[in-house]
Formats: sequence, C-alpha cells, structure tokens
Amino acid sequence: MQDRIYYFAMVPMVYAALAVLLFGIIGRTIRTVLAPRQQTTLQIFPAPRHPWLRALADTFLLPTVRTIRPVLWVFTMLFHGALVLLVIGHLELIGEIRALQIIPHQVFLGGGLVGLVLTVALFLFLFTRFKTPYREISVPEDYFLLLLLLLTVLSGSHMSWAKYLSPAGFDIAVPTYREYLSGLLALKPAVPMGIEASPHYVLVALHVFFANCFLMFLPFSKIMHTFFALPLNLLRRGGLHGARSTP
Amino acid sequence: MEPAVHHELLTRFDSRLNSAMRMYLDTCARCGVCIQSCHVYASMPELKYTAVHRAEVIRRLFKRYFKTQGRLWPSLGDSAELTDDMVDTIYQTAYSCTGCRRCMVHCPFGIDTQMIMSIAKLLLIAAGREPKVLSMLADMSIQKGKSTPETRANFAKAVEQLRDEVLIRWREAHGEKVVPLDMQDANILYVALAGKHSIVPAAAIMNAAGEKWSLSYYEAVNFGAFVGNPEKTRMIAQRIIDEAVRLKVREVSICECGTAYRVMRHMMGALPFRVTSFTEVIARYLREGRIALARNRIKGRITYHDPCQLGRNGGVIEEPRYIFSRMTDDFVELQPNRTENWCCGGGGGLVAVGEKDFRMRSARVKADQIRAAAPDIVSTACENCHSQLTDLVGHYQINASVRFLSDMVAESLQA
Repeated sequence: MQDRIYYFAMVPMVYAALAVLLFGIIGRTIRTVLAPRQQTTLQIFPAPRHPWLRALADTFLLPTVRTIRPVLWVFTMLFHGALVLLVIGHLELIGEIRALQIIPHQVFLGGGLVGLVLTVALFLFLFTRFKTPYREISVPEDYFLLLLLLLTVLSGSHMSWAKYLSPAGFDIAVPTYREYLSGLLALKPAVPMGIEASPHYVLVALHVFFANCFLMFLPFSKIMHTFFALPLNLLRRGGLHGARSTP
Repeated sequence: MEPAVHHELLTRFDSRLNSAMRMYLDTCARCGVCIQSCHVYASMPELKYTAVHRAEVIRRLFKRYFKTQGRLWPSLGDSAELTDDMVDTIYQTAYSCTGCRRCMVHCPFGIDTQMIMSIAKLLLIAAGREPKVLSMLADMSIQKGKSTPETRANFAKAVEQLRDEVLIRWREAHGEKVVPLDMQDANILYVALAGKHSIVPAAAIMNAAGEKWSLSYYEAVNFGAFVGNPEKTRMIAQRIIDEAVRLKVREVSICECGTAYRVMRHMMGALPFRVTSFTEVIARYLREGRIALARNRIKGRITYHDPCQLGRNGGVIEEPRYIFSRMTDDFVELQPNRTENWCCGGGGGLVAVGEKDFRMRSARVKADQIRAAAPDIVSTACENCHSQLTDLVGHYQINASVRFLSDMVAESLQA
C-alpha cells in the first residue's frame, strides 16, 4: 500500500500536476490576452527614454522594494536568484546540459546553499506575515503558498544537505534521478530501483508530492506574477502598444 | 440584495475586466510595499486606508465571481460575497482614495489602484450609491453641451464683463477681442472652469503672447471622471472635442484642472488637435520669448505642489519649475516632489463631495510637508488642489497663501 502511494506521487501525480500547470497557465494567459485591450495609457510620468529597459529593471531589480523595504528586497532577490539556480539544477537532473557545463560544476550548484537561501528567505517571508501590518493584509493563500514552498524546499534540501554533511551520505546518485526523470519525460515512467530501495524513498516521494501540489496550485494563485510582472511594468512605463499616450 | 441588482452589478464588474485589469487583479503579492505610499494611511494609519486593502476589497469579489480558485475554495483567497454590507465597504474604499496613483509608483508590479477603484465606483453607480452631487454635476455638464443659442449669448455677455479685469493685467491689442469666443481657425481653444479666476489670468497671458485663441463655451471639469462613469466622462469631453473640431483649432489647452487635462490628453484616444495643459502653454511662451516676466515682482518664498493628475499621471512636471525659474529667485521644492509628491487629499471628487473633516485629517502629511518647506506662497496648477490646499493651510494654521500658477504669471507679466 505504501509503495502504491509513493508510486502515485512519483508518477501519475507528476503528469497530472504538469497537465494542470500547463493548461492552467495557458488558460489564464489566453483569457488575459483575449480580454479587451486597454485603449488608453496607464503610464506614470516622467516617461522613461527606454520604456522596455525601465520595465525590465522594474521587474528584475525591484528598485522601489529596495528603497522602501531593503531587508525584504535582499531576501526577495536572493530567493528569486536561488529559484533560478534551482530550476537549472532540476533541468540538469533530467539530463546533462553541456552548455551549462562551460563552467564545470556538480549537478545542483552551491553545495546545499541554494536550498538554505530559499529556506531562510521563505521563513523570513512567513514570519513577516505574522507581523502587523503585513498580518492584516495577508490572506490564507499567502500562508498556504509559503508553507507549500517550505515543505517542498525542506524535503528537497534535506536530500542535498544529507549528501554533503553526513559521512553516511545520501545514497541516491544523480544518474538514478536522471533515469527517473528522463523516463517520465520519455513517457516510460518508472521508479528506479536506486530510489525505490533507498531508505530515503519516503523523502523523495514527499518532495515530489509537495512539488506537484505547488505546480497544480500555481496557475490559480498570485504566483502568476511570474508571467504578468513584465507586461504590468510595461503598462506603467508606457511600453505597450495601444496603451501609450498619444503624441 | 435584489437578484436583479446583484446580476447588474456583476455585469458592470465584468465590463471592466480588460486585460490590464485582469492582470492587476491577478497579480498582487501583498508584499506591503504600497502601505506607506498612501497619504491617507500616512496621516491616519488604519489598514482600510492602504492601497493593498482597497484593491483587495475588489479583488475578493473578483476571486469569488470570476476565478476558479474563488469558486472551488473561496476561503483560501478570502473571497467575498456581493452583499449590501459589501457595497457599504466599497463606498468607504472608493471615496477614501483620491486616485493619486502614488501607490502605483511604488508597487513592484505597478498595480494601478485608481483603475481598480474604477470598478468600485462603477458598482456604486449601478447600486445607486454614488455621491449624488457628483452625478448631478456630471449631468449638468452634459446638459450644457446641448445649450441653446440663448445660453450661449448669456455666456458671451458674462465674458464681456471680464474685459476690464483682463486689461488690468495686460493691454488690449488693436482690433482684437480681449476674451474672444467662437474664433474660427484659432491656434488655441482654451477650456476654462466656471469662474473668472480661470479665465482672466489666462486671457492676459495669451493676449500678451499675441496668441490667436478662443475661449471655449464649456467648462473643463469632468465630473463624469470623478464619479467614475465612463460614458458621462466621454460625453463631457466630447462637447469640447466637437467645439474644437467645429472651430478647426490646432490645439486645445486645458486650464488648471488636473483631471480635465488627464481625461482629454490621455484618455480620449487620438484627436485631430493637440492637447496641452495651460502650464505647458505658459512655459512654451517663455521659451519662445513671447512673454517676459518681471523677476521677483511677487515677493516671498514660493513652493509648488505637483497636482497628481497633471504631474505623475499627466507628465507636466518640469514646465512649472521652468516658469518659476523665470519668475523668482526664492523658490523652494516640497520634499518629496515631482513623481513622489504627496497628494493634497482633495482628488477623486472629494472636494466636490465635501467631506471636509476627512479631507483635513487624511492630508496631515501634506500639511507637514508644506510646513517643512516654510513657504509664503504655495502655488499649484489645479483647481481641486487649490481648494484643498486653501482649506488645509487654514485648518493647520500654516502661514502661507495658496495661489494659481497662471495667476502669478499674469501678475508678473512684463511689457
């Protein structure tokens, strides 16, 4: 029974999560794109000389957050930077990406540091939510997302930390993960013996389960800011056609 | 709430869900960066006066009625039902926001709270709960657009009576009318407010510049925008557009009214003439050497309040500073200023609605800002701001007068 539950999280649920994620994001994006267009400018002045550059800077450097909430800015930048590394790390777990090996590195950069940064940042975000006035502006979704992310990151990082910190080590090697993930990708899903027989199988299954939950929830949550932040900043900077001020 | 009303409100809500609005409602991370942006919160630190809370009131309805999450798991996003109590909350939310968009400057995503509040105002109209005075004033403006020849003749007579007051500021050019009306092919159609304070200085300045101009029959103020009614906003602006087209003018210059300028300049789409604020026209005359100002004729330290709809929402930011650089050696900036300037607290129709007690309490931060600059004169280029600042300096016993920029320019005109 236990194995069946683990298998469910490791295989069918992964496909279900990816389907919900993909169709959810496409659906939300289509709905937004097909909605009537904003006909007049929503710009803030003075208009920048290069609206696109300014919007990119707003989106990726968060200048106003740096000025108004510098501590939050530091952790937000670290968090998002670590997320990028995490995505790269997981892509490298599917198969070797030679372009990324220009600078030779172990799969999962940082020796557990990326997970640590994410964990610390997530705890800060969570604790901030308990503080006035942020507590009052928070809704259950905010806590739910943070907890889901924390559980995903902690269960994932534990595997990484155990590997680096304990002489007993973490006994699931990169090739085993590659066998599992590339099997999923090739629609030949199987949980390799290296994972199934590992005493840490429960952690892997839990990590995948929480990640599945997060991916399924993503399209229906505020995490859609991943896709909307740039167009919104373009609206603010006058960089979107049709929403510009007339000359 | 009656089911028919409920249905109507949701239909109106849906009508505002364009792509930008959907993204505004979908994106907030509730990071709280906007909390301190609002002058109301900075003056009265209550959660209901934060931009994030205001947007969240509408966002909760959006989740409940237009999002899968709200349908399947309403408590997760604090989704809210549209009830009579909710309409009360919407009123408090919409009419404690002046639509200054300072929060939009600070939001990492650039969420436009004023735009979200346009849903709130539309719902209030549909529920018959909007401030009736605003709707009445908007209707009066529209009615004036259908004015008969008699009312036009009466207006012409009233304008004629301003002649002597204009001549105090600037001499009469030979063969030219001091305040021309119905001037075909004029360069500028000047759109004033009701009241001679909006006509006399502008007439003197344009006459001094030797401009070929015409005064509009209509007042610039757009109460349709204040009450949040898009149809009435367009109808009110359309009267002026029709007049400008009929007279074949090259430029429509809007008097010192921030909202009227923003509506005409940025919200009416492409027009067959140029739209400027009168502040831009003055700056242009100075740059082209068409008018000259007697430096320091106006004594005392002068500061300038950037009207939100003219400055950060309209783009007229450096022109007033250029004008002051030619008028006085004793100019001091408010801190913060330009895009970051604090709202005066009178926008969004609040001055017209009254609400003086709220306006005074919610603009304490503005009073502090003025007091810190220690000016003798607070100048501005917006009627709403002028009214609010006049009330404010009185209420907080600040020893400064409040003056229109155009009035100061007219007083400083040099032959």
